[in-house]
Amino acid sequence: MFRQSLRSIARTRTGTIGVRTYAEAVNPDVLKVSLVAPHQAIFTNKEVSQVNLPASSGEMGVLANHVPTVEELAPGVVEVIESSGTASKYFVSGGFASILPGSKLSISTVEAHPLDAFSSENIKSLLAEAQKNASSADETVAAEAAIEIEVLEALQAAVH
Amino acid sequence: ATLREIETRLKSIKNIEKITNTMKVVASTRMGRAQRAMASSRAFREGDSDFFATAETSTPETAEKTLIIAVSSDKGLCGSIHSQIAKATRAKLQETPNADVVTIGDKIKAQMLRTHSSNVVLSFNGVGKEAPTFWEASLIADEIRKLGDYDKIEVMYNKFVSGVAFEPSVFPSFSPISIEESPKLSEFELEEDQAIPTSLSQISLTNAILNAMAEGYASEISARRNAMDNASKNAGEMINKYSILYNRTRQAVITNELVDIITGASSLD
Repeated sequence: MFRQSLRSIARTRTGTIGVRTYAEAVNPDVLKVSLVAPHQAIFTNKEVSQVNLPASSGEMGVLANHVPTVEELAPGVVEVIESSGTASKYFVSGGFASILPGSKLSISTVEAHPLDAFSSENIKSLLAEAQKNASSADETVAAEAAIEIEVLEALQAAVH
Repeated sequence: ATLREIETRLKSIKNIEKITNTMKVVASTRMGRAQRAMASSRAFREGDSDFFATAETSTPETAEKTLIIAVSSDKGLCGSIHSQIAKATRAKLQETPNADVVTIGDKIKAQMLRTHSSNVVLSFNGVGKEAPTFWEASLIADEIRKLGDYDKIEVMYNKFVSGVAFEPSVFPSFSPISIEESPKLSEFELEEDQAIPTSLSQISLTNAILNAMAEGYASEISARRNAMDNASKNAGEMINKYSILYNRTRQAVITNELVDIITGASSLD
């Protein structure tokens, strides 16, 4: 008898706990961003107000409650604007941004570095070399150079 | 055994102890870096595993072509790391006898060739000396992609559980078709012209390989540290045993000589 009533209490308890879901536990009005490269996680679930992304279909700004989607990123600048208004800029070499339900944005990219870590002279000399290689007879070298030019030109535009 | 024999034995055990101890120290110093690499690759993988979890992507139950990628490394002396992966891969092959196998690392290659030589289609070596990089993982993924399309790809690796434990686990890698067929994909607004499923499937394979290699590396280093720690302890025990035996034998030899001398001297009286 006692055991039976215990069991029924246990059942009702689990019932009420089961209603509480993960999506309710987080505040959906704050955008949470993770910016990760394979060798380093720059942000993990950091609460920010806006993120600007260099999507391959064009620049896009992401705010909280954005519709879930997946975007391929072109080489360009990811701008993270914190709720205090300070913005930090990172250059990424392309990758993916997935916006998940619950205002969660995760950006995975192969390389990501702060914009002020780049030297404009280095970019110029590397770009000159890549442009020289782009007209190479070897198809692989030419294709690699074309990618290099795409990244370096985006980087040059971002640094200036 | 004679005194000389025990002496050489004792010396060689002492040398072995020095070697295992050094290997243990080397493994300990690498441990920190291996764990950092593993943590960042885990975080990197979360990006797309979150997406797959939300879209509820799953591998097809009945796959015509299955590929198993077994990730381990080239170096031994690290406990049961390689044989555990081989065992797990063999168990998978029991379920799907026609699956193709790609091996990463010489040790797992040797083990798979012994029992399932006809299934192994491609193997890599020279990885796992240092913490894996994205560059290595993408080169491997590129080669694997040249094998053709598979309905189901599974990456077998040693999951790093703690400093003393690891367990063979599986990362699924999804084909573009299974991504498109995900039941909850409609929650996302994907642009049709960008071929997102194809690129996502490619990056998720690279990601799975990178994460598997990083976890495997960390597990291997910690397993090696433990194996070498045990070996050093055992060597220490043997050194103690043999030192006692050596001293006893030396005593016995001296006593024997004394007995000889004294009996000789007393016989002269």
